[in-house]
Amino acid sequence: MSKFMVIGERIHCISPAIRQAFADRNPDPILLRAKEQLAAGADYLDLNIGPAERGGEELMQWGVKLLQENFDNVPIALDTANMKAIEAGIQVYNRSKGKPIVNSADAGDRIEYVDLAAANDAMVIALCSKEGVPANNDERITYCSELLERGMERGMEPTDLLFDPLFIVIKGMQDQLVDVLEAIQMITDMGLLTTGGLSNVSNGAPKHIRPILDCSVLAMAMQCGFSSAIVNPCDKRLRETIVACDIIKNNILYADSVFEF
Amino acid sequence: MPYKKTELKFNGKINTCEIGAGDAAISIGGENTLLFLGDEGFKPAVGIAITDSPEDWSDCFTDIFGDDLKNPAAWAKAAVEKSGADFLLVKLASADPNGANNSVENCVATVVAVEGAINVPLVVEGCKNAEKDAKLLEEVAKALEGKNVVLFSAVEDNYKTIGAAGGMAYGQKVSAESSVDINLAKQLNILLTQLGVKSKDIIMDVGSAAVGYGFEYVASTMDRIRLAGLGQNDESLQMPIITNISGESWGVKEAVSTLEDAPEWGDQEARGIGMEVATAAACVVGGSNAIIVRHPESAKTIKSLIAGLIG
Repeated sequence: MSKFMVIGERIHCISPAIRQAFADRNPDPILLRAKEQLAAGADYLDLNIGPAERGGEELMQWGVKLLQENFDNVPIALDTANMKAIEAGIQVYNRSKGKPIVNSADAGDRIEYVDLAAANDAMVIALCSKEGVPANNDERITYCSELLERGMERGMEPTDLLFDPLFIVIKGMQDQLVDVLEAIQMITDMGLLTTGGLSNVSNGAPKHIRPILDCSVLAMAMQCGFSSAIVNPCDKRLRETIVACDIIKNNILYADSVFEF
Repeated sequence: MPYKKTELKFNGKINTCEIGAGDAAISIGGENTLLFLGDEGFKPAVGIAITDSPEDWSDCFTDIFGDDLKNPAAWAKAAVEKSGADFLLVKLASADPNGANNSVENCVATVVAVEGAINVPLVVEGCKNAEKDAKLLEEVAKALEGKNVVLFSAVEDNYKTIGAAGGMAYGQKVSAESSVDINLAKQLNILLTQLGVKSKDIIMDVGSAAVGYGFEYVASTMDRIRLAGLGQNDESLQMPIITNISGESWGVKEAVSTLEDAPEWGDQEARGIGMEVATAAACVVGGSNAIIVRHPESAKTIKSLIAGLIG
């Protein structure tokens, strides 16, 4: 098995500093967050420019070039609801360190993002949902199959789709979290790759509790085959968990100093 | 059905490491596949070993080198000429405090003379006493500043001195010795890197055994290290591998027993070469980027094997 893939989530327009930096085309805050995340072991950087209805194409191209020129063609997940902006970003994207990831498709209104990825030889994050959170694993696997079929019809490799089972929040939907783990196992057993936004699990819990929940879910998910996640790589506890699980799963080689970050 | 060659693609790449200076420099490593499986033609380098204390070496070396055995510089020159080796290793066995306990000054003088006598890169091996090697290889690094030699090897007990002197202060290459322990191999690389030695200045001495003497363990260790570096893109294991098989190969009974001891085994020299060639061949196929042998015939044979495989 290859080691767990970390997609760094911190370049996100929901952060006021990043939103402002996008608006001003100010590289510094973006480069700083990129640098921190890569130093913390991120494999991919997510570049979330928000809905970007106006000027999205130019903004995405600016962001992709900015990150890749400064960080040795770092691979990027292009994250926006504006499909044209993703396409524009891919046009200037350098593939030497990995394919671009389209973030994201689902089995409903956003299924065309799969087409977009296929047409551009990209990977795609495929949410196993149609409208909102899937009710159960029958739904999850149905949507997973629909997305897979769509991609393969258009010539994609199955491993270029990263299936997101949609982690659910413990506070309120605790009883369904085991389903998510089971879905990861089922998708993995089909020979497919998975990903997901982990932080949703602990949403609403006190700040000092959240890492405990996030890390535990991650470890349990990795045992089910979970192969990547969109996370904050600068969270030291999370990073330790990923490395420890990668060692236990024999994905990386142990050495006494591997936890000295 | 037409034949379709499939090639396993890896994300990782082995570092390229240059040893030696000026026209004599060579580079090892750089491959992004298992050795000989790619079409880039990355070629392991073959080194020839000499020592400042040849007393326990097989008699055949006296026949080959004669009085040169008493003079490391002359021996070094002859060894390179007779073997066509890509580089030379000199072992400072006399420094051993449990043996001749030769002074650091004397040993450094030997190394400087050897370096001056050859036109290929130099690897300097200590006496395998961690404390003495720290002092010895530090002074060697200082005396040969600018020559880009390999300090062979740093271990857990002396990596700080050897790493700081060799890899940082005097710009030499540091070999990290892990005695067929994959976790230690990774650990030493991390420690050296944390100390400030650049990855490209580190070479791994992962150890060896003569074939037939637990070599399976060496083979699986090399495999694990290479697959971690290439397949898992583990940067702490992407250093080239250097392997000195000469001591192990010439130390086993197949090489040590005289014709009188074992007449049915035939010529002793041929047996030593046989052990050495078999071990060296297994190491280069397993991933050694630089292999060190004693006998000029072994060096020539391995060089022709490599040339034949690369085509």
